Amino acid sequence: MSSVLLLNLAWQISTLALVALGLAIVFGKLRIMNMAHGEFVMIGAYAPVITSSLGLPGWLQVPVCLLSVGLVAFVLERTIIRHLYGRMFDSLLATWGIAILLRETVELLFGRGYQSVTPPISGTLSLLGTEYPAYRIAVIAGIVLGFGALAWWNARSKVATRIKAMVGNPDLAEAVGINTARLSAGAFIFGCCTAGLAGLILAPTIRIEPMMGLDYLIRSFFALVVGGLGSLEGLGIGAGIIAGTQSVLGALANQTYGYLAVLTLSILFLWLKPDGIRSSTR
Amino acid sequence: MAFVLLPVSLLLAALLLVPEVFGDFMAYQIGLYLIYGIAAQGIGFLWGKTGVLPLGQALFFGLAAYATAITLRGDSGLIIDLTLAVAVLAAIAVFAFVLAALIFRGRNESGPYFSLITLALVMIAEQIAGTATTLTGGFNGMSGYASLGNLDPFGGFYYVIVAATVAVSLLLLVLNRLPVNLIARAVADNEPRLQLLGFPTHVIKGAAFAFSALIAALAGGLFASHQGIVTPTSMGFGLSAEMVILTAVGGRFHVLGPLIGAVVVGWASAELRDSFPYWELLMAVAFILVVLKAPGGIAELLESGYRRVRPARPGKRSEPVTAPATKAVDAAGPLRFDDVRLKIGVVCILNGVSFETPPTGIVSIIGPNGAGKTSTLNTITGNRRTTGGRIALGSRRIDSRPPYRALRSGIGRKMQVPSVFFSMSVSQNLSIAMMANRARLVDLFRPSTFAWRSRSLSALLKNPSVPLQEELVQPVEHLPQGHRQFLEYAMTIAAEPRVLLLDEPCAGLSLEETALMTRLVRAFQAETGGLVIVIEHDMSIVEAISDKVLVMHLGQVLAFDTFDKVRVNPEVQAVYAGGTK
Amino acid sequence: MLKTTARLPSSAAMCLAIATTAAQADIRIGVLVPDSGPAGLFGPSARNSAILAANEINANGGINGEPIELVFADVGVPPAEAAQAALRLWRGEGVQAFVGMHDSAVREALVGRFGGQVPYVYTPVYEGNACAPGLYVTGETPSQQLAPVIPYLMEHEGVSRWYLIGHDYNWPRDTNALARGYITEAGGEVVGEEYVPFTVSEFDSSLQRIRESGADAVLITLVGGGSVGFNVSFAGFGLDDQAIRLGTLIEENTLAGIGAENANRLFSSSGYFGSIETEAATAFAASYDAAFGADAPALNDLGESTYEGLMLLAALANRAGSLSVEAMDAAAEGTTWSTPRGDNTLVGRHMAQTIYLADGTGGVFNVVAAFPNVASDEACAN
Repeated sequence: MSSVLLLNLAWQISTLALVALGLAIVFGKLRIMNMAHGEFVMIGAYAPVITSSLGLPGWLQVPVCLLSVGLVAFVLERTIIRHLYGRMFDSLLATWGIAILLRETVELLFGRGYQSVTPPISGTLSLLGTEYPAYRIAVIAGIVLGFGALAWWNARSKVATRIKAMVGNPDLAEAVGINTARLSAGAFIFGCCTAGLAGLILAPTIRIEPMMGLDYLIRSFFALVVGGLGSLEGLGIGAGIIAGTQSVLGALANQTYGYLAVLTLSILFLWLKPDGIRSSTR
Repeated sequence: MAFVLLPVSLLLAALLLVPEVFGDFMAYQIGLYLIYGIAAQGIGFLWGKTGVLPLGQALFFGLAAYATAITLRGDSGLIIDLTLAVAVLAAIAVFAFVLAALIFRGRNESGPYFSLITLALVMIAEQIAGTATTLTGGFNGMSGYASLGNLDPFGGFYYVIVAATVAVSLLLLVLNRLPVNLIARAVADNEPRLQLLGFPTHVIKGAAFAFSALIAALAGGLFASHQGIVTPTSMGFGLSAEMVILTAVGGRFHVLGPLIGAVVVGWASAELRDSFPYWELLMAVAFILVVLKAPGGIAELLESGYRRVRPARPGKRSEPVTAPATKAVDAAGPLRFDDVRLKIGVVCILNGVSFETPPTGIVSIIGPNGAGKTSTLNTITGNRRTTGGRIALGSRRIDSRPPYRALRSGIGRKMQVPSVFFSMSVSQNLSIAMMANRARLVDLFRPSTFAWRSRSLSALLKNPSVPLQEELVQPVEHLPQGHRQFLEYAMTIAAEPRVLLLDEPCAGLSLEETALMTRLVRAFQAETGGLVIVIEHDMSIVEAISDKVLVMHLGQVLAFDTFDKVRVNPEVQAVYAGGTK
Repeated sequence: MLKTTARLPSSAAMCLAIATTAAQADIRIGVLVPDSGPAGLFGPSARNSAILAANEINANGGINGEPIELVFADVGVPPAEAAQAALRLWRGEGVQAFVGMHDSAVREALVGRFGGQVPYVYTPVYEGNACAPGLYVTGETPSQQLAPVIPYLMEHEGVSRWYLIGHDYNWPRDTNALARGYITEAGGEVVGEEYVPFTVSEFDSSLQRIRESGADAVLITLVGGGSVGFNVSFAGFGLDDQAIRLGTLIEENTLAGIGAENANRLFSSSGYFGSIETEAATAFAASYDAAFGADAPALNDLGESTYEGLMLLAALANRAGSLSVEAMDAAAEGTTWSTPRGDNTLVGRHMAQTIYLADGTGGVFNVVAAFPNVASDEACAN
């Protein structure tokens, strides 16, 4: 019992952290309340559908995913998002429109029906005395490694500091030679690409259809506000609390209680600890 | 009154014509849009004025809808139904007020957190409504009851909706002309300033939220009666988002904007849904365009078009009315710091500050940057909570009180960077300041309160050298910095504080203006016999006005004495030898 | 492109003009299908099936000698908006009868607004017991889908320990309440029952519970995307070796989303599959392909149900000699008609029909058993 629960927890927490990572950058750093975040996950999940419908080999899924998500993010940043820095509620409204736009476009291209994606690794592995899907174990390991690398890079790179400086005081950042337009565009596209990558990685384990994005949006937001905006550590803690609550209560009681508990917990955090458990912003 | 009566009678006439011209079914359709529009008007009030964006307004809409359905199912007669409806509305308003006031207490932002809380609440409500089948009928909803007063949804009930629409619009238009409107707008404009003027902003936001919830609940009650069915979608996240969209598209800054939005969007989507396959794409693009290019929505576009035909005339300014006396403040005695400490994160800002001012006179605080001067003022007004020690004014302890209590303790404050209501005119700024420490609740609902001017403020305004022109209608954000300094000063003294805290009042002023400001400060002190504490860098000003000088360095008091004694203090000289003036 | 063929340009002025002249026109029938929302997936096949039915009815002389014309409306929206769309057709465009393929909340709203003044055929799978003047049902109810199928599976697949999982709302709860009876009656036992909110898309803890329960059969009443997500994870965890699955709302689109590799021993019970090989069904599928091309949305139970609904409406109205609710209500009991599903009879306002059990192994439904003339236990007293 407990070993499966443990693996399920690891799966839920790591995938939620992965899905929320892009939003942590776009909302946490750029202060864009991106309601279309889930739609970027969705587009990423369609990458295998694109490659198989074009008859491309499977290893092209990653470049196709990054290219399509990156292109969409680039166009949206240039036309819409760049007008919204510093206008948080407007960003919420406009990205809500963008979310509908992306859903409808994908529906026009691929239809409304469900798509099915085969995992690159199938079967189950024996781990901790239980049978667990091999693909999931690989994904958990990959996410842990990826986050380790990201934390290492984050600690050494100046990009995070520059973004923080830019959001805190755009004029000053511009004055000290930071190209704020390029930096924020880059951060937005990077955030969306990680969301797309999350979609691609999750694709073989979930349903794929144009409306699927909403599932990932709300949980990502709650993970971020519970953990605290602006740090990888906070993102991990937030994902742990949100996914952990759902997973543990789902296992011990039932999924409805788990869902209600996640919402209640989010409200309590937003009310009593609005800066989250870890926050580097104040 | 024409401002109110003209739009309302136009609205009424238009709505009454609908069944005559377009027939019963169209009236039924418009009726539903109006119901959504009423709820959106509540959102417009809250969001457009106080800047609080509710993402879960369907919670109140749905609660009232279910309550109405349950009541109507009881089939107990119109009188009992209406009594219960009033009780439900009151309960929802109280619930919303308590919720928002609790959440907003202790913070002065309206950022996304409250919005996300309302979102989570409506998601919980939707889930429970869908699961609690015995109470709500579950997913399939609650139906099979007659409408309120057994009115025909295709006939008589339309006029009930029209009456509610007109009543809510009338109420909102009237509120727009009352002082309470300024207070609500001031929350979004500059919440910290409003708090320093003694207004408990969490209560104001709570009241505004409760009012919007009440309106949403009224709409929900009408919905249940109009539709004959209530399902979890009536209490869902989707409807909440829809209502925000209606508000944004119609225009959140105008009373009729959300109504226009609801009718236009509702009608357009009903028309397009079955005739244009890409209607959702079209609506999404239109919505994005509104957010980017016309944040004021359709109503703002209509108004600017109208203004091109008929430019706005500046309204007549009413004759000043002598303001009532300020509320009595028991704040006699010196200001005393005992070992006050302030730590923010791991940084110690104040390390045991102790001093006691004389009960009256002018005290200057000087010290190099980072000495803790502004933080000292922050602890006095409660903008920062001390982490040790105590602060007393006379015999009363004042530390760790919220900022809105400072004025009631007799403390008024001018900020380092002029903090005024930037989107409002000079006159509106002064009107708010005059209400500080004077207005009772009823005064906020009396138009005459706008014209309140105290004797000392009138004297200040009559001074030809003071650069404050009440005639200017444009927002003060367009005024030069120096003018804003004088405006904030005037607003701060308008409440007649016993202790006046001035943070670099002469920053950005010309030589003449500096001289004027120092004259004003001295005159104020002489007139009121109160205590003035000034942070100042310019030693010539310090010398000219100070009875005593408090020198701070690294979060501690270095010296506290007369200017002449401080000047020869070797420790002070050592600190200032670094080259600061 | 087909979307626009059966539609009229509509505007407020047009509605009024049409309403006044409707008396001379053909009989207009409102077809309510979801084009938007989660069920929007079924809109296109439902439209197409309705068009085929109308063509066939008109080829056979229409209703009481008058040709019929379809007017579509999107009801994949919340009940209030869906009711408006329907009322628009009824009051605005002179529609004289309705066929609806939508969720139960919308049905409740419509029943309230129609007030028994217009005939209304409700066609999708649902929980049963909807009774009102003028309301006729062709959709399968839980007793029809389960009563013959559960004993059959227990016998032929040798299963006895059932786990019931569904979304947290009326239809799954009603279905499972009945299923418990059939399972114990056939000598099996229910080893677990759980409900999942629509908003939850992770099924790990449910799958763990199923594994621990030792279930050898799972009855799935999850709908749409939730069903896809569950079944993908189910097979991912290797549970398809442990238990067979039976769904009462797993149709061709859902199966495609689940994917062939995840569909091992996945059964579905339904009144219709695109792969039924009776003469009537193959003829229907052929004319569907001929009319809408090979790229048309796949035939499925929900989409095809509008065909059933229109054929019932025609049979009933012809039998009653009128489209008035009184006449139709009086003539309803015992109406018979034949469709791709087989020979049907109206019993208690509900359609007694053939129920098919199909195996989805390999990603395609293969019908393994057919149970003719199954009547609903959740029908009306008439």
